[in-house]
Amino acid sequence: MGMKIRVFFALLFCRLSRFAIRLLGRGGTDFPGRVALRLCPNLLGVLAKNVTTVIVTGTNGKTTTSRMIEQSWLDSGISYFANKSGANLLSGVTAEFAMHSSLTGKCRYTHALIESDEAAWKAISKYVDAKAVVVTNVFRDQLDRYGEVTHTLENIRIGLANSKNAVVVLNADDSLCTSLSLELPNRVIFYGVNVPIYRTRVAELSDAPYCIRCKNEYVYDYVTYGHLGKYRCPVCGYRRPEPSVAVEKILSSDEEHSVVVIGLDGREFETAINLPGGYNIYNACSAMAAGKALGLDPETVAGSLSGFACGFGRMEKFRIHDTDVRMILIKNPAGCNQVLNFLTARTEPFVFAACLNDRAQDGTDVSWIWDVDFERLTAMDRTLAEIYVSGIRAEDMALRFKYAGFPTERLHVVKDYRQLVEQATSHGLPVFAMPTYTAMLDLRGTISKAYGFKEFWE
Amino acid sequence: MELKICHLYPDILNLYGDRGNILCMEKRLQWRGIEVSTTGVSIGQPLKASGYDLFFVGGGQDFEQEVLLKDLAGEKTAELKAAIEDEKPVLAICGGYQMLGQYYKTWDGEQCDFTGALNLYTIGSRQRMIGNYLFTCTELDNQTVVGFENHSGKTFLGDGVRPMGTVLKGYGNNGEDGMEGARYKNVFATYSHGCLLPKNPVLCDLILKTALTRKYGETALPPLDDSLEQAAHSAMENRLRKK
Repeated sequence: MGMKIRVFFALLFCRLSRFAIRLLGRGGTDFPGRVALRLCPNLLGVLAKNVTTVIVTGTNGKTTTSRMIEQSWLDSGISYFANKSGANLLSGVTAEFAMHSSLTGKCRYTHALIESDEAAWKAISKYVDAKAVVVTNVFRDQLDRYGEVTHTLENIRIGLANSKNAVVVLNADDSLCTSLSLELPNRVIFYGVNVPIYRTRVAELSDAPYCIRCKNEYVYDYVTYGHLGKYRCPVCGYRRPEPSVAVEKILSSDEEHSVVVIGLDGREFETAINLPGGYNIYNACSAMAAGKALGLDPETVAGSLSGFACGFGRMEKFRIHDTDVRMILIKNPAGCNQVLNFLTARTEPFVFAACLNDRAQDGTDVSWIWDVDFERLTAMDRTLAEIYVSGIRAEDMALRFKYAGFPTERLHVVKDYRQLVEQATSHGLPVFAMPTYTAMLDLRGTISKAYGFKEFWE
Repeated sequence: MELKICHLYPDILNLYGDRGNILCMEKRLQWRGIEVSTTGVSIGQPLKASGYDLFFVGGGQDFEQEVLLKDLAGEKTAELKAAIEDEKPVLAICGGYQMLGQYYKTWDGEQCDFTGALNLYTIGSRQRMIGNYLFTCTELDNQTVVGFENHSGKTFLGDGVRPMGTVLKGYGNNGEDGMEGARYKNVFATYSHGCLLPKNPVLCDLILKTALTRKYGETALPPLDDSLEQAAHSAMENRLRKK
């Protein structure tokens, strides 16, 4: 078969199968992409050829950062598409390009914003000549899937080596992330937070206590969270680079948003970030840096940070039975600890629901829940009124709270999601639900069916 | 009564939720009115083994494990060996388990010497043995233990060391001889993360009872309400047996 015909059939099949899957009421993006790749292995390369593509990768914050960048593109009048549904594997990304191209393989937009799984990024980088690559951070993730952090880092490094023309946007506060710039010929933009974020933090294990170059212990002027902060190695001199895009001040930070001052090339921009939590301050800062990489007007990008729509399960709010239900996706200890930093700052009572699945996309090893400082949460006493646990590994989650000292009378195992929502919203208190990835899909599915919220792929 | 637990390298061998084993042991002692204190001993800190009744060592990332090997050799190894010979209980998981052995040889032949406290050794393989698994524990009348294994090292036991039990589902020590874990005097070594002890309260109590009995003479532990623990155990056991 000729290349053009191959592309045509791959695209046709991709569209038809996605259409059929939606008729079945599902939101699949993976299967159509996989089949299209079988029909035309280089499909992504063909489709992405003349598209200005920005990649967002890293362990945590990819989706939220992408939504912030997306808003800045919208506000800057850029013609773009983005992979919205968390479809970030090679197959999913290929399907997204396919959906936004004509059957002859020409993209309908000038720009593409692609959130990519750090493991898949290595594969994607072979086909896409990215204009900019944003790396949010590198934390321990689902170890069964990605292996150790050094392995994750290696994947990103290979991806960057394939991206000769990309401006690389790196988190200056993350010693792992920063190590990607060593011997990298590309133009690099560092972003970071120049002040500590939290007055008190949950006790967390550092994912990178030792110098990546010489294995001696880092010294920190301050830590923002996890292993992020102003680090330096006293032995070999490896240290946090001075960021050119940096959060200079945190003016306020509450349950709905943070107001910060971001410095960029000698100018200062005061901006309200319409998501709470310190990790979203980082996401905002990386979005500003991504704007700089593309040469967007920083004033516009700063404004976009207060206007963007929340990502899929990232502090997403539902109103059910006159009760606010907020959904916060968790994937790993670092992300989970940040959610706890946010929740433990609360003074008003609330209900907490943790939904733990162990499918491939969640990570099949649930051991990590024992690395998270849930003791901080249970120490809130009556402010944390009830805990519900659900998901395939609900019993493991229940045990974690029992051993964190939470009274078992107020700890409920409810496996059925409809029942979970009904019971959790019955206390007249706001609910914070913390699902893992596939648990979020299930929980959202239940919420959309039972209470009439829109499905994620719409 | 009181148990003093020593947590070796808590800041380095801190992977896969293994610290949950400490939480579990502490709670199950406290719920029975037994005092417990845990002390972390890390790089640069001397190990005075005589001050502790029970030792715990977990698994870590390869990068960080390399950092500590130099520190572990010499003085610390001698103290740890003496404690083991003195029949003090040790719980070692995954990387910690391997480090109690003679050496680790990578699949391409590079050898890394370990403490040699136990007569066992580990050979790296290119296959990653990963997943939930199920094994019996000989000393618990073959009751089952559930956990999560994630290793590429294959461990083989030498003379004087017996396995903890037999693998029912999964790989265990090496995926070849059907054995899981190692027992020598009062050392309990296993590949099981998960975290191990919360879902296997009977094993936790066996280790605690061993430590208390060594210190105070024959000690019985009053039973606890383990319904949540058993539910988590059965959920995984049933799932694995269906496979």
